[in-house]
Amino acid sequence: MSSSADSGSDRAESLHGRIGHQVQLPFVNAVRIAWRNIRVRLARSLLVTSGIILALAFLTYILCSDSLARNIAEQGQTRYVEQLLKQGILADLGDADARVQTWWLVGLALLVSFVGILNAMLLSVTERFKEIGTMKCLGALDGLIVQLFLLESTFQGVVGTAIGITIGVLLTLVEGMGLYGATMWTLVPVGNMAALVGICLLAGTGLTIVGALYPAWRAAKMQPVDAMRAEI
Amino acid sequence: MPEKPQEAEVPEVMLATETAAPKRGAEEDKAGLLAVHVIRAVGVKRIFYLGGEPVNALRGVDLSVKRGEYVSIMGPSGSGKTTLFNMIGGLDKPDQGHVYIDEVDVAALDTFELAWLRCHKIGYIFQTFNLIPVASAIENVMFPMLFAGTTQAEAQQKAAELLKRVGLGARIFHKPVALSGGQQQRVAVARALANDPAIVLADEPTGNLDLHTGEEIIRMLEGLKEDFHVTVMSATHDHKMLAASDRVVYLSDGAISHIKRREELDIKFGTLQGDDKGVG
Ligand SMILES: Nc1ncnc2c1ncn2[C@@H]1O[C@H](COP(=O)(O)OP(=O)(O)O)[C@@H](O)[C@H]1O
Ligand SMILES: [Mg+2]
Repeated sequence: MSSSADSGSDRAESLHGRIGHQVQLPFVNAVRIAWRNIRVRLARSLLVTSGIILALAFLTYILCSDSLARNIAEQGQTRYVEQLLKQGILADLGDADARVQTWWLVGLALLVSFVGILNAMLLSVTERFKEIGTMKCLGALDGLIVQLFLLESTFQGVVGTAIGITIGVLLTLVEGMGLYGATMWTLVPVGNMAALVGICLLAGTGLTIVGALYPAWRAAKMQPVDAMRAEI
Repeated sequence: MPEKPQEAEVPEVMLATETAAPKRGAEEDKAGLLAVHVIRAVGVKRIFYLGGEPVNALRGVDLSVKRGEYVSIMGPSGSGKTTLFNMIGGLDKPDQGHVYIDEVDVAALDTFELAWLRCHKIGYIFQTFNLIPVASAIENVMFPMLFAGTTQAEAQQKAAELLKRVGLGARIFHKPVALSGGQQQRVAVARALANDPAIVLADEPTGNLDLHTGEEIIRMLEGLKEDFHVTVMSATHDHKMLAASDRVVYLSDGAISHIKRREELDIKFGTLQGDDKGVG
């Protein structure tokens, strides 16, 4: 990459400075443009983000309700364990099957998240092909286009993930209240759940960025004419 | 420059003498840096394949455009106007032949030089305006400047001046949806001028506008030639949009059929004005 840039500036020199060398914008400029894009498209972005929200709410709920149930069981609150067993939520704590089932659900939630996010990002890129083509006509470098989409998706990822996690945690607590009553509050595994929330935040944001990479790269590589002609 | 009907014909927006761009051209020419022909197409061919069938969009086009000239490319739909514009604008590459901008072969440029060319050297105007829908008029005009590395404040000031210049001083914060077609195209004209380009390429700029508004845009392009020393290339399939041209190049089925000079044209703005009093 850098070698081609060097040879480019050499050639530009030999052409009496007729053709220059497009500058790479400081990162903060890309952040500013991306942030404005997000703000202006808030409604639209929220729609795209809803996929992320749902997926992360699901993932967080699975992990946190499992953690809560385990904690209640481990604290020796036998009456709750009986209740748990009756409901089949926690067949047997020492049972490997239960763990396998939880991990299976977590895997499913992750898959749902990834597909939802990838779909959302593909959608948001393809509906803006014409805009990307125009930007390239105006002198935007491929790298800037990638940066813009990655930044936008990072914003979306963080916000969507945060909302999703909040919903997931609330669901867990509301359900806990329903099942175990007010004593549930003394038995919330705060540290454990905070760690899970952290993991979910990383997973959601990470998946969003990974999901945005391919569409953003594809959009940036497109010839401006093709991008502008693309019908959606 | 041929004689210009200064007083009566020029619409008031054109009379706002505040020019955002420095008067270039003259001094640079003296330095001998710039070639006479700002655009030179030599034997340009472009073949597309549609389901395996070749489509000869351009069959060997030779064309030289002088600095400061206003050239119209006239031809029916499908004659290859857009394909030619894409070659000249560095948006597509010829299968055969060469396009030289300021005597530099566009095909030889790397990504960074190509982006620089699109950003600094050429201003694009499209039939469908192609404004960024979520951005206001002033933000649209600022984009090319921001891509060029201009500071936010500087870009803002210049964009405001340019919008005033095209008669949109009161609407700089409007989104494209809140603007009429003619107003959107004015924003596009201002955007095309953002980085003081040498060339403005307008591909059917009046295609989506009514006769009256279209004529205003054409006059505006003609004014740019005078005030910004830009070379204007404009494509149209509408005979009525040729009045500003120094030269009209007739394109037919991917090849130049003939070329008319300004004095050979029988169409003038004056005759049009009489015709469309009721329009617009
Ligand atoms: N990307 C493409 N793929 C296939 N055919 C194309 C493509 N672009 C243009 N053409 C064909 O090339 C010819 C010239 O098209 P174009 O340059 O758009 O004409 P104009 O702008 O004068 O209407 C047409 O026959 C058109 O169908
Ligand atoms: Mg066309």
